[in-house]
Amino acid sequence: MIELLLFWTCCLTAVAGAIGAATVRNLFHAALLLGLCLSGVAGLYLFLEAAYLACIQVIVYIGGVLVLVLFATLFSADIMGRTQRPVWWLRLLGIVGGALAAVVAVRLLQVVLQHGRDLAARRNDSGAVPDLFGGSQDAIGDLLIGPWLVPFLLAGVLLTVALVSAVATVQRFRRPVERARG
Amino acid sequence: MAEFGPDALAAYIAVAAVLFAAGVLAVATRRSAIGVLVGLDLMLNAGALQFVAYGRFRRSGIDVQGQTAAVFVIVVAAAEAAIALALLFAVYRTSKDVDLEQTRELRS
Repeated sequence: MIELLLFWTCCLTAVAGAIGAATVRNLFHAALLLGLCLSGVAGLYLFLEAAYLACIQVIVYIGGVLVLVLFATLFSADIMGRTQRPVWWLRLLGIVGGALAAVVAVRLLQVVLQHGRDLAARRNDSGAVPDLFGGSQDAIGDLLIGPWLVPFLLAGVLLTVALVSAVATVQRFRRPVERARG
Repeated sequence: MAEFGPDALAAYIAVAAVLFAAGVLAVATRRSAIGVLVGLDLMLNAGALQFVAYGRFRRSGIDVQGQTAAVFVIVVAAAEAAIALALLFAVYRTSKDVDLEQTRELRS
């Protein structure tokens, strides 16, 4: 029952975040809603028995790509769009929602810490390293250095080319003063 | 309930479809380049979710190749974000804004 509830919460988070990110006028809020959508999808990955991928999603996508998008919002002339003061019931809803989210976050932290303690205890009993992600990361690694070796190397080349060309593009458009200073 | 829940393909595909549609909407209607970037990320994410979902519900059992493909999608998204930030910087330097309707040229 609680599993079903969590599943539909993840679905709702992903869908609502996506629709909000596509339609909200304020660009900064759109980027933040994209983060909400991405965390919902990370939850769905957990239901698809892809815990390793869920971690990657949170670390690389939310922690890396989303931060770059938030940086990019600073280039906009009016980040906040035509901001209106929120009506009182919307503000009340926000406060209640924030409080609920804080409760959930604290509970989640407790569960995670307890899980870590359990894992450590089991490790002491048997001496073996416990399987944290259900084994999918082993299979992914085997695939990456096996049948997927060429795409894996190409991904490395792609990332290198992307970073070098990003730096080169930025260098071309620096102000003359900055260029003279080096 | 069995066809539309955590243990069936349909719900995941529906969520991915909504994500992709929202991404297309953002790319098509946003005037600012940042809105387009958000839309692109939504579409990439929908694709990755499809990969994992179809890999999970193979008839022959769970197939990890779907998750591996999703890892590559995330790599592509990271490269895209880096390039997009550099291009936005260039557009910003030439026209002081990142409005795609007004941007005509990109020359230093």
